[in-house]
Order: sequence, then C-alpha cells, then structure tokens
Amino acid sequence: MTHPLVDRHDVELAALAAAGGRREFGELVRRHGSAVRGLLRRMGAQPSLADDIAQDAFIQAFERCAEFRGDGTFAAWVKRIAARLYIKRVAKEARYIAEVGTEEVAPATDHAGRVDLDEALKALSEVERLCVSLCHGAGMAHPEIATALNLPLGTVKSHVKRGLDKLRARLQPAGQSLGSAQHVG
Amino acid sequence: MSADEFDPDIERLFARSPHMSDAGLFTARVEQRLQKGSHVRVLALSLAGLVGGIVAVRETLTVNIGVGDSVGSGVALGQGLRSASLNTQGVVQAGLDQFGLANLELGSMGGMQLFWIAAGALIAVAAAGVMKLSQDI
Repeated sequence: MTHPLVDRHDVELAALAAAGGRREFGELVRRHGSAVRGLLRRMGAQPSLADDIAQDAFIQAFERCAEFRGDGTFAAWVKRIAARLYIKRVAKEARYIAEVGTEEVAPATDHAGRVDLDEALKALSEVERLCVSLCHGAGMAHPEIATALNLPLGTVKSHVKRGLDKLRARLQPAGQSLGSAQHVG
Repeated sequence: MSADEFDPDIERLFARSPHMSDAGLFTARVEQRLQKGSHVRVLALSLAGLVGGIVAVRETLTVNIGVGDSVGSGVALGQGLRSASLNTQGVVQAGLDQFGLANLELGSMGGMQLFWIAAGALIAVAAAGVMKLSQDI
C-alpha cells in the first residue's frame, strides 16, 4: 500500500529523494520552503536574493540528500546549507565586514505597540542581524559562525549578545511576555 | 549551542515560519529546476555516448577495409586489428609499468583476449551509465 506524500515523515521523503524521487523532494520543498526563505530574509537578504539562494540550497540539498541521516530535522539541515550559501554570497560582496554606517531603524508596530521578529530584526546592525540569525535561526554555534564569517570569536559573541539585547528590548513592551508579541504566520 | 547563548523565547520566534503567499510558486520553481537539471544531464550523457560512438565508428573505418577488394580486405582487416591491438597493448603496458606491474606481460596474451577484456570493460561502463540514466529518468 502506498501512503500519500503528505503522510510521510521528512526522513522517509529524504531517503526517497536520495534515490532520485523528485516528487518526494517537492513535498519537502513545499513543507520547508517558507522557513528557509524566511531565515534568509531574517539574515538580511533582499526577498529576490533570498528566494534565489533558497532555490540553490534546495537544489544542493537534493543532490546531497543521501548525506542527510536524520540526526537533526530536515529543515535545519537545509537552513544550514542556505545560510552557508548566503554567507558565501555576502563574503563575495564583502558587505558584512563593513560594520559602520548601519543605521538603526525604528521598527513598525501594530495598534497594541507590539512588533514582530522580522520588524524587530530591522533594528539590528547588518552584522548583528546576521550573527543572531545564524545562531538562533540556522542553529550554528558561535565558533562555527566565527569561522564562516571570518571574524574573531569574541566579536561574534558580542554581536550576538548586543543583537539579542536589542531584540528583547524591541519585542518586549512593558507588561507583556516575549512569546505573545509574535504573530503566527 | 552553549547555555549562555540559549534564549527559549527568541528560539521560539525564529522557529516560526513566516507565511509566504507565493509558497506554491516557489515549490514549482524548484521542481522546474530539478526537472531541467535532469534533462540537461540526460542530454549530456546521450551526447557523450553519441560522440564516443562516432569516434569508435570512425576509428573502425580507418582500418581501411577495401570494400570491393575481397582478397585484400581480409588481410587489411587483420593488419588493422593487429596494429590497433599492439597500440592498445603498448598504452596499457605503460600504465601497468607505472603501477609497478611491469612483470605482467600483456604481450603473452593474444590479441583477441585483449580485445575481449577491453570490450568487457567498455560494456560494464556503458551498463553503469544506462542504469544511472534510468534512475534519473
């Protein structure tokens, strides 16, 4: 008996994709495409660039599907591939090295004065945003980020800390818990 | 991630995927690229096979089989095969010498033996290619 694709687990679909199953891989893209695109945008990529890199990441994931062992989630695995592709791209443009000149932008709020994560991230400098997103969005450890960005470990740690402090300040209006400040998409 | 990096609230916010209105379009684009990549691969392999085939046929024809010269054709074919066999033998022997297998004398093998070994290897490579191609399709 064959199960419809929607009933299959990611690990099972990835195994079928590794054997050349493009339909199965399409289901994985349907499930996790938005998460990967969202992460890239949170890292600071423009929407069109984020989509291009997300596509490249999924193509690369399809070609390397046999390497996915199911130790972590499939989404986390593709997110890391996408994050590395984005880092390569910005490294080529040498954008994040120039840390000066990034102005803080006041995030947009709703009627209750709440901001969502994507808006709050705009308040961070480019490099802070990148470090925080790599750490909390792509699940990369500080030393890994330092190596990927070619920055000293201490610098990465302070970027993450400063970025998180700014995020907390933006996301937590007086009297509200952080978790309730986010709209579920 | 170490304990001092962990912030459950921020983690939770990052874990939520944003809603993308064009999610279906994105999936379709990725599927289209996968399909295209597969077609390109099939085309490249077919082209490589075709070029290989043409080269092989050309090499066979340069053996100078004199069509119409029935007496000479058999002799020419025999000479051609012998010459091709000797050339191949020389190349393979040089390779074996490099790997320290100089004592393995290919000259002791018959021309037909070498021919069948080479043909067997080529058939195995072609079969592997066909299997890969069928998996892709």
